[in-house]
Amino acid sequence: MEHADILWALAGIFGFYMAWNIGANDVANAMGTSVGSGALTLRRAVIVAAVLEFAGAFLAGSKVSDTVRKGILDADMFTGDPTPFICGMLAALLAAGAWLQIASYFGWPVSTTHSIVGAIIGFGVLYGGLEAVHWPKVWQIVASWVISPLLSATISYLTFKLLLRNIFYQKNPLEATKKLAPLLVFIVLTILTLTMVFKGLKNIDLDLELGPALLIAMTVGIVSAIITAVLVRRIKLKDHVESRSTHKIQYQEQSLQKARKHLRRLQDVSDPDTQEEIATLLKGAEDLGSRLEKERGPTDNPALNQVEKIFIYLQILSACFVAFAHGSNDVANAIGPLSAVLQTIEDGKVALKSTVAPEVLALGGLGIIIGLATWGWRVMETVGRRITELTPSRGFTAEFAAATTIVLATKLGLPISTTHTLVGAVVGVGLARGMGALNLNTVRDIAVSWVITVPAGAIFAMIFYKILMAFFG
Amino acid sequence: MRTFANLFGKSPFVPLQSHMRKVSECVDGLGELFQVFINEDHDSIGEIARKISKTEHEADLVKNDIRDHLPRGLFLPVDRGKLMEILSTQDEIADTAENIGVLCNLKKLPVPDSMKELFKEFCSKTTNCFQLSRGVIEELDELLESGFGGVEADKVRELVHAVAVKEHEVDICQRKLLKIVFESEDSLSHTQFYLWLRILAEIATISDLSENLADKVRTTLENK
Repeated sequence: MEHADILWALAGIFGFYMAWNIGANDVANAMGTSVGSGALTLRRAVIVAAVLEFAGAFLAGSKVSDTVRKGILDADMFTGDPTPFICGMLAALLAAGAWLQIASYFGWPVSTTHSIVGAIIGFGVLYGGLEAVHWPKVWQIVASWVISPLLSATISYLTFKLLLRNIFYQKNPLEATKKLAPLLVFIVLTILTLTMVFKGLKNIDLDLELGPALLIAMTVGIVSAIITAVLVRRIKLKDHVESRSTHKIQYQEQSLQKARKHLRRLQDVSDPDTQEEIATLLKGAEDLGSRLEKERGPTDNPALNQVEKIFIYLQILSACFVAFAHGSNDVANAIGPLSAVLQTIEDGKVALKSTVAPEVLALGGLGIIIGLATWGWRVMETVGRRITELTPSRGFTAEFAAATTIVLATKLGLPISTTHTLVGAVVGVGLARGMGALNLNTVRDIAVSWVITVPAGAIFAMIFYKILMAFFG
Repeated sequence: MRTFANLFGKSPFVPLQSHMRKVSECVDGLGELFQVFINEDHDSIGEIARKISKTEHEADLVKNDIRDHLPRGLFLPVDRGKLMEILSTQDEIADTAENIGVLCNLKKLPVPDSMKELFKEFCSKTTNCFQLSRGVIEELDELLESGFGGVEADKVRELVHAVAVKEHEVDICQRKLLKIVFESEDSLSHTQFYLWLRILAEIATISDLSENLADKVRTTLENK
């Protein structure tokens, strides 16, 4: 084939560009919750994201890549010359990447997943008409876009109701948290391990059937639950002040105020000697007032504060889960088309029957990390600053629900939007009366993103395809 | 890309509490006002009344800010309408405080000796009643944290009950005072008589509104 080297290099560059975009924009949404709730500092969030995004991409990222690579387009269309297919996939990568960058420049709500799916459909339709696209698969993907936020909302609603009933409605929320924390750790780690080892880690030849996988996952879950139980037992209610009710504090304030008032009144009607004496008393009363105020400190309920402190650790765990899930699902957006191109160049014909090479997954993972390091941390900072209303318990719930939904979709080979899933999860917490204020206009934004992104990706891909074909076709 | 960040709106609970603090400043001003009113220090009355009026205006600014930041698309854990009602009740308390200031400043009104002690009690119970209801509002963020249920909700229920009890005490005081006013019809001029009725009614309104406010917060609680 002509230009094989150039095409090969272009594929690498465009794939990397797309991965960079994912790292720069999408990761921030996944990890911003942890930064916003104060569970992780920005620096730690970046490190956690880098490690787990890469792990997710490399270890569990191939299934969705297969779908993006060969599930959307009908294989029978590409039996002849492979060049149009290569150019099409390159165009799709470039289109999605460029569209993402334009959209993020203007601050439009856009999903990386929707862009790439739209771009591939666009190229397919241009190349072989409507029949070139494997519509049943496309409808399945589109359905997953609707279902994934709904599912994560349901999971987070139920999880938060569970937390409310078992922690926040309890007489002693801190003790209740200590009891529940090992169970939560067990659930998170069991699911996480299960998704990794059950038909997951093909790349390192650790690919187990359900039975052994379940066994390993349960073991990991139980061991970590026991460790958690030991750790939380050490936590004590630090400042053991009875949670003084606010009206008692006000009573104190008022009584002191009254005392001062009466003293002043006495001062008005006394002779000069007594007046001086009263002035000293008044000063004493004022000092007492400021001392009481200092001792009182913040009027928050200390037990609930401690509960949130435990949830900080749980949220770090769920943040790792999200990063892993995100890496495994979203790396496909860059890697799917890229590996299709590389495979086709190697075989000299359109190849649809092989697996995604681990090296390519590693490249995708690397691209995400570099995107994160160069630009993503800044977005993460912005996102984190905007969502300070999210406390660790809410953040944990949302992240847990979203990550579970994402790994489920990954297992089914469905490319879904992580951001939309996360939005669904947060709305679920809100429905359980857990959030201060949710701007439901975002739901409208998401609808707009659907209407715009898929056609925009498609049109961009068509344009780039024409240009590439002019050079190589 | 910032879709996710845009999901989080500005929570109205903290501004609601800061509005209540402004309202509380107005009522604190009333405490001072009652003091000088009983002492018949007529110069200070005008000054304090002006101060209350100024604080009431500041409270209004906070109120408008909250209303501006509650767009239709905002999803809240408490019904929007209820939140607005809570806000407007707080606002009414500040307005009433301002009115009391105006009424006390209309005319040099002597406090009959037969009323003095009882009037003092009436005034301090009124401010107490308000402070209790302020305590309910101060619990709002804790309520949010615990999902409007559980121990926190029980605590708020107790507070609401305390407000109701205080309001009842204020009512009893008011009845006694009214009796005295009507009994001393001969010693009071028409103007004084009328003004006393108005002042007593307005002061009692503070505790009525406080009870109202506490009740409104109570309706937001999760049912057991």
